[in-house]
Amino acid sequence: MVWLRPASPLLTVAAAVALLAGPIALRAQDAPAASSTASAHTSASHPTPAHAASAKPVLGAPVKSYGSPGAPIKLEVFTDYQCPSCRNFFETTLRPLINDYVASGKVYVLHHDYPLSGHQYSGMAARWANAAARVGQFGNVEGALYDNQMAWEMTGDIKKFVSTSMPAADFKRVEQQMEGCDGPGPTAAPAGGVAYPPGGHPCPLDAFITSDIALGMKIPVEATPTYRITYKGQPLPAASGAVSWAILRQFFDSLLAQ
Amino acid sequence: MSALGSLLLWLTDHGYQVLLVGLVVVFCVRQPISRRKVVRVLLVLGGIVVGSVFLAAAYGKMKPLPGFAWSWSSVRISLAMFATQVDSYQMLPPGVANTFAHFLPYFELFLGVWLVSCIGQRFSSLLASLTLCGFMIAIATAYYRGLKIDCGCGIGPAEEAGPAALARDGLKFLLPALLVVIGAFWFHRQRQCAPADGATSAAPIRAD
Repeated sequence: MVWLRPASPLLTVAAAVALLAGPIALRAQDAPAASSTASAHTSASHPTPAHAASAKPVLGAPVKSYGSPGAPIKLEVFTDYQCPSCRNFFETTLRPLINDYVASGKVYVLHHDYPLSGHQYSGMAARWANAAARVGQFGNVEGALYDNQMAWEMTGDIKKFVSTSMPAADFKRVEQQMEGCDGPGPTAAPAGGVAYPPGGHPCPLDAFITSDIALGMKIPVEATPTYRITYKGQPLPAASGAVSWAILRQFFDSLLAQ
Repeated sequence: MSALGSLLLWLTDHGYQVLLVGLVVVFCVRQPISRRKVVRVLLVLGGIVVGSVFLAAAYGKMKPLPGFAWSWSSVRISLAMFATQVDSYQMLPPGVANTFAHFLPYFELFLGVWLVSCIGQRFSSLLASLTLCGFMIAIATAYYRGLKIDCGCGIGPAEEAGPAALARDGLKFLLPALLVVIGAFWFHRQRQCAPADGATSAAPIRAD
């Protein structure tokens, strides 16, 4: 029974130290890895507002994307939740895209808010979407906002549709973020910068929206929806207007065939 | 290739001015024979100007996207990108829009070469004018329907389908094309009505 023979005391101590130190070291590695993953999601040009640092629990910047950032094609979309063309674009193009090419890892979709000044509730809808994105519910809320656009754009009752799109516990966290965010939200001013419709005032969540608007103005976004495709790190010219999924898919296929 | 593109762009931008100056000269010339000679030169110039519009448009649609080199596959990618612009007009079903997007640049290339060659100029300029009218109707329709889209013209920087694009197409492209149509038909009629004048100019007349 050689395998039961006790080893030398020195080896036994070394093995015991290794067994104890291993999990401790792994746990210590995991902690920074987790925090760096969170910061990687938040690093996409979304500054964390000052209030978020003091809020409890601390929430990161909103993750308004679908798929893996490592996908060969990145599709950045600038939309306004109250714009009919954006609804059409989401329902007929983005949804099948997300279900197909995003699910298969070919495309990474990144949403940017670009609420237009002519739309009374689009800024507020963007606030709800950002709050939901901070608790990992962006996909559900974006779908609910577009599915019910015609209903909430008449009354402004966005909360009703956001609440039914996610579990109650998550909605509670979203609602907490929306405290103090009453009144119309920020919109892209035609002359540049951000404007608030009458009765509107800044809210901590607006930092995420204004950073998106600033990015859109650099492109520049002239209308919504505007989309920009980046293939293997090379940005292609931005385009505006809704495009059908069949045509966009063919374009993606021609890129992926390279 | 980029030098050729720049030359074509310059011609599309300023060619109409040359033709307008030439038109003034035509009205200033009194002698019929001299006038015919000026018109003949202008028709050749007009063919180059209007042809360059179509060549520039074809080049703009077929040129490789940033990060790609010239190749058949890069042209296919550019045409697939152009298909998204055609589709954004929401006038054609996706299948037809796709076919149209892959056909149009080659048609523009053919028409551009035909116009520059000045062969059968009455017909080439008429076809060019009708094509330009078709583009302008599409842009006007998109604007009327409230679509905020790129015109997808392929000439110069991206421009929104709206009054500015219509004004540009009307002044810089359609006006020269119409002038060439009128000039070509006038010249053809002059040749038929006054064979004696034609006999004086022994050189073969390429412009119809």
